[in-house]
Amino acid sequence: MQPLNRVLLHKDCRVGPDLTAWRSTIGGKALKIALEDPSALIPLIKDAGLRGLGGSGFPSYKKWEFLAAKKMAMEKYLICNGNEDEPGTFKDRVLLEETPFQVIEGATICALASKINQIIFYINPDQTESLKSMRAALEQWLASDLYTEVKKVIPRLKYRVHASSGHYIGGEETAAIESVEGKFPFPRGKPPFPADFGVFGHPTLVNNMETLSNVSHIVRNGAEWYKNLGLGDAAGTKIYSLSGDVLQPGFYELPMGTPLSELINTYGKGMLLGKKLKAVFTGGPSNTILTPKDIDVPLDFDSVLKRRSHLGTGAMIVVSEGTSIVKRVAEYVSFFAASSCGQCPPCKTGTYYVAQLLNNIDTGQGSQADLDSLINLCKILPGSGRCHLVDGAVNVLDSSLYHFMDEYRHAIKAR
Amino acid sequence: MQKQDEELVNVTINGKEITAPSSLSTIQALWHAGYPRVKSVGCLEGVCGSCRIMVRRKESDQVTMALGCQTLIEEGMQVNFLVFPTPTHHTYDLKMINSSWEVQGRFHKIFPEADHCRHCGGCNRSCPKGIEVERGVALASKGRFREAGELFIECVMCNFCMTACPEMIAPNHVGLFSRRVTAYFHTRPGNLISRLETLRKGDLDVEK
Amino acid sequence: MSKNNQGTAYKEALNKYCALEDIAAAKETLTPEVLLKQFHPDYFPNSIINLKVGANKGEACHGQLAAMLQSDARIDESDLAGAPILETDILVIGGGGAGCAAALMAAEAGARVTLATKLRLGDSNTVMAEGGIQASIEQGDTPQMHFDDTIKAGHHFSDKELVAEMVMDAPEVIRWLIQQGMQFDLDKYGDLLTRRAGGTSAARVVYYRDYTGLEMMRVLREAVLNSNIEIIDYSPAVELLANESGHCAGAVLSSLKDCSYNLVRAKSVIVATGGIGRMHINQFPTSNHFGATADGLVLAYRLGAKLRDLDSFQYHPSGLSHPQHMAGHLITEGVRSAGAYMLNANGERFVDELKTRDHVSSAILRECVEGRGITTPDGAIGVWLDTPGLELREPGMLALRFPKLIELGKKSGIDPLKVPPLIYPTLHYQNGGVVIDPNGLSSVKGLYCVGEVSGGIHGKNRIMGNALLEIISFGRRAGEHAAANCHGVKHKKISIEHLSDLRRELTQANMPMDLQGPLLFPECAKFENDSDYDGLHKNR
Repeated sequence: MQPLNRVLLHKDCRVGPDLTAWRSTIGGKALKIALEDPSALIPLIKDAGLRGLGGSGFPSYKKWEFLAAKKMAMEKYLICNGNEDEPGTFKDRVLLEETPFQVIEGATICALASKINQIIFYINPDQTESLKSMRAALEQWLASDLYTEVKKVIPRLKYRVHASSGHYIGGEETAAIESVEGKFPFPRGKPPFPADFGVFGHPTLVNNMETLSNVSHIVRNGAEWYKNLGLGDAAGTKIYSLSGDVLQPGFYELPMGTPLSELINTYGKGMLLGKKLKAVFTGGPSNTILTPKDIDVPLDFDSVLKRRSHLGTGAMIVVSEGTSIVKRVAEYVSFFAASSCGQCPPCKTGTYYVAQLLNNIDTGQGSQADLDSLINLCKILPGSGRCHLVDGAVNVLDSSLYHFMDEYRHAIKAR
Repeated sequence: MQKQDEELVNVTINGKEITAPSSLSTIQALWHAGYPRVKSVGCLEGVCGSCRIMVRRKESDQVTMALGCQTLIEEGMQVNFLVFPTPTHHTYDLKMINSSWEVQGRFHKIFPEADHCRHCGGCNRSCPKGIEVERGVALASKGRFREAGELFIECVMCNFCMTACPEMIAPNHVGLFSRRVTAYFHTRPGNLISRLETLRKGDLDVEK
Repeated sequence: MSKNNQGTAYKEALNKYCALEDIAAAKETLTPEVLLKQFHPDYFPNSIINLKVGANKGEACHGQLAAMLQSDARIDESDLAGAPILETDILVIGGGGAGCAAALMAAEAGARVTLATKLRLGDSNTVMAEGGIQASIEQGDTPQMHFDDTIKAGHHFSDKELVAEMVMDAPEVIRWLIQQGMQFDLDKYGDLLTRRAGGTSAARVVYYRDYTGLEMMRVLREAVLNSNIEIIDYSPAVELLANESGHCAGAVLSSLKDCSYNLVRAKSVIVATGGIGRMHINQFPTSNHFGATADGLVLAYRLGAKLRDLDSFQYHPSGLSHPQHMAGHLITEGVRSAGAYMLNANGERFVDELKTRDHVSSAILRECVEGRGITTPDGAIGVWLDTPGLELREPGMLALRFPKLIELGKKSGIDPLKVPPLIYPTLHYQNGGVVIDPNGLSSVKGLYCVGEVSGGIHGKNRIMGNALLEIISFGRRAGEHAAANCHGVKHKKISIEHLSDLRRELTQANMPMDLQGPLLFPECAKFENDSDYDGLHKNR
């Protein structure tokens, strides 16, 4: 049994917007260390191996380096991405609600490392508690001596809490930039990349809330400590969002690389009503499916990739025997169709049409031609949009066709 | 009956690999290769809006919306026919509008979403006829129905823009509404009315 | 179609061609009757036979159409086992102009209306119509003149009563269309603009650009969608139902969506299934839409309806002949009304461009047969439609009034403002059809037939603009009449027993029973092989 909630969700962190309580234990200590030598921060993060925990798994130090390199920039932005709108992912909200200072401190250390002067906490307006908590915490932070110390190094430092539009697409990094500019969150084409042209044209770094929350712990305890937290070659911990047909769904902070079987059986307390496991949507609905033969997979970025799947946000949606995969995939693709921003017709129309086909097949009205169309669309649609929404829809569809083709064939024959 | 040196190209249509002369449309190519195609076929002339397709050209990431009977096949092209129903959810009866003074007010009740266009441009990009759909909706929203209607002369009601709209505006129906109210309230031809009067009075008849 | 014809090669002819402001009119050497007899496809030797069964037994009919009229049914009793039944007041079969007009009028009168279409609602010949719709509204014009023109163009074969009703209806038809929201081209005072149809005495075709059909169809379809008319699309009718006294009582619809049969029981049925173009009579290319396969004609004939003029089809003079993949596509007669000439390979005019369509088409065929046509490397042949010449005489007019022509130019890669399109007659219209009375009622009780599927109005040749008039005029009449007369209609037993009678008749006449009809879709679509529709195919 792996240690649970040891770092980010440790009780010392979960004090809510109470500065005094936070400072009585670990609060502020990391910031003081960081202030002593900001130039050592990026090498530290690199050594620790911190990766983007909002789904990309991209080495965080690289993004920080891009921004640090922009020495002539008048303004630099850090957007702390808390849009969290994908079905099955619900880890960031607990960090915002219960550990707001952990987030603020981590963001501030990042700003020190990359000489960023604008920090924006980008939060989904549906999360009213998160917004309340962060606003209250920020107010205290700005009145504290910690802020005064930081201002000596970054005189023009500003913080802001920005409620996003609430649209799913607002979680995409360039869409977040549009939203911060006050516009509808339409994803922009890349290049240019945010580091070169972000908010109002200024260099911008977008990091996930969970990623930033790790920063203060790495600074306090060092890179080796962080690396040893993970199992095998993986580093750090991960807050997994477990949902679906398990007895105890919820968020669980565990060592990176915890086996899926352990997550489900030990922490999730096993399958609901003792049903058999049929599949797990790994990383949420915009990723891929794992079947029981891969139940032992260590849940870290590289190990999951070896099994032709993606860790994503660490969301694991468990599906039991009896659930129609076709119907479930139809639901997810319908979600994407409804969430598409509309800029790119192949995305909006493509996902809509795929959902129609899937529903037809699921209700026994589909034909072989419909199935052929689905397979064909998996080839035509990828890359056709400005962002990866349509790719996510195709991923989950493609994965379901790969693992559950029999179910599709059966649904067609039933006509 | 084609030239000896007519270029043959390889395309994929609905997952089927086909080799056919480059002068054929996507529908003709399917038939040429012996594949059945019944749904998504209509006038074969580009005015009925039945043959919606998605097209991806070789070595391109771009996927475009087009009409199948008007799209000639090209080497390496991938095509998928889109057959889907799009229900109208904006119902109205012209007789409900009592005078031309009321049209704009009624318009906002019939098409309440038109005011919430988010200017994504998806409708423009998905129109196979190159109509300035988004502008048409904006004009109608401002009550400029005649102008809005003029933009939709070529509209074949294929419903591509309707599917592409994330705000559920049904832009082509907005365009058609604009055209219809223009005729309904403003077309009053003197020559026609004069003749109707003559007929009403029984002054003209036909000897068989 | 034209492999055996000599002519001038395309490139050479195009080099010789030159757009001129004025060209001398043609000198006609043959009388119209002789021209038609020698060159019009209706007179092709061995193409006409006599029907052996049915209400028109012994009468002339084109061979290809006869085969379909005398075909066996696609279904029998076993196909109807378990078929769900839908009850309605009026069943309209066909979603083009006539079908929609009928449905709208019937619904307005309070009847419960079900409209069944073979493919998508609005897919029709109506939507492709370009030229316009006739109505005698100008000062110097009268319904009498409209009547006389129609009778004369039809070679005096028309049913005078039907034509009289139609021409008197015409102005009201235009008003009704305007009230549905249809736009027309107007002059600066708001008056309707008119153009002259070939073979007529006055300008009386009102139009919207060269998109009259598209404008009409999208408006009517929208009106239908916004009404309480029940629409069943992707459901071709494969057979009509009859009651114990032979009264039409509904239809069997096959659903392309779930591959099953559905029965619709109705107090009366309005058949508006359109034309026959996709049967490619005499192997001509066609201007018609995909669904024009004479379905309604076959179904009505089986129920005992009398038909007429089955040996007469209209070939529209200006069908595109080149490029190959657009063969048969129509260029509206309106372009000739606007003043465009037609030229042979020698650059000469060879006929009065505004004579009736059968005359003009025959003249074109004569030029091609007698070696004065222009041939293409892929075997097509035709004559020039001199649009560049018209552009010289009236710069800018084509682009303004004929946007569809300009679009056609873009699609074919031939700019009509600079290069003359190559044209050849294209199978366009069924002049004859089901015999009807002024209310659209056929000789079978409860069965109305309106639009192109009906006959008697155009005689042996139709003039431009009368088709769009006919569909609305008679569509409305049938809708109104059916609604007014459907109360009190009671069917006791509804069945497809008339098919047994058909089969007996065919057997006794030693007719081959291997062909099954209605055709539903052209051969090229391979409907019979499409596994998507297993269960709907001709079964044996």
